[in-house]
Amino acid sequence: MENEIAMEDKNSTFVVLPAYNEATRIRPVLEDIARKGYNMVLVNDGSSDNTLEVIKQVKKEFPDKIHIFSLLINRGVGIATQTGFEAVLKFNPKYIVSMDSDGQHSADDLDEVIKPLVTGEAQAVIGVRPFKDMPKSRSFANSIMNILTRIFYRVNVSDSQTGFRAITVEALDKISINATGYLISSEFIREINDNNIPFAEVPIQTIYTPETQAKGTNVKVAFKILLQMIKHQF
Amino acid sequence: MYLYALIFPIISIIAIIWFITRYFKGKNSLITVVLWSIFWIIVSLFAIFPNVSSAFARLFGITRGLDFVIILVFVVLFYTVLKLYFIVDKMQNEINTLVKELALKNEISLDDEEE
Repeated sequence: MENEIAMEDKNSTFVVLPAYNEATRIRPVLEDIARKGYNMVLVNDGSSDNTLEVIKQVKKEFPDKIHIFSLLINRGVGIATQTGFEAVLKFNPKYIVSMDSDGQHSADDLDEVIKPLVTGEAQAVIGVRPFKDMPKSRSFANSIMNILTRIFYRVNVSDSQTGFRAITVEALDKISINATGYLISSEFIREINDNNIPFAEVPIQTIYTPETQAKGTNVKVAFKILLQMIKHQF
Repeated sequence: MYLYALIFPIISIIAIIWFITRYFKGKNSLITVVLWSIFWIIVSLFAIFPNVSSAFARLFGITRGLDFVIILVFVVLFYTVLKLYFIVDKMQNEINTLVKELALKNEISLDDEEE
């Protein structure tokens, strides 16, 4: 499977990783991605732990594969991802991926997520997590978010809150992301839909640990996203 | 004469002078001075002549003067909270832009560390 993505395509693919207080989890994520031959744009979201130091240490191992940008203060996953999407344009990418840096996503899925872009089948991809593997509260919150995304943004997708997504640079140029927090996931899907960008859903694996469960879409976050969705209607 | 009939007009005068001073320093607009002056004049009137509130209340179809004062306070508080919300929202957006631009202009390289 891995061989199907040419090295040339891998070299022009950049993975955007927003990172907030991920010092204990981020190292294997970065190493896995770098070993697969992909480039990375790391955005440290004003972490209060030594996330930035850990990223720098990994950069020493893979100096050409990692580009680091750092927000002075914590502004949320939306702003960090926006920063990554803007920063990545400096490196003339063809394909841009964004994924979580807490180890929830597997670098093994990168090839499959990129494939529809490389073959031209789609210009945007969302990695769909299996809801049956999620803890019940998480699965419930994500199901609610799918319904809300359908109601507010009129888009029907299997996983509206996935943080694993890929897009071509041409398509990225067409969309406009303004969300500051977790709303970014729904907003990305809305923008893809509103701009008639052909997109595909690719099943991905999700690695749940007590640490990865502490972040992401729980009922509280779902309620916050709902408020932001209502606000965005005006 | 009750004590509040003295205290509220004094607070009102201080508040109005404060708003006028801020206007001359360019810190708030003329409309803000006018609106807040009207508010504090009404507060003073209610304090000195409590029956005035009943007259205002009848004007709006409210039977008791005190009810009118309470509703007025709620309206002012709601307006203030809403205005603060918009100010904070605008500031948040400005901070986001600033923090993002700073990060984009300063890619972190390992050379920086060695220096």
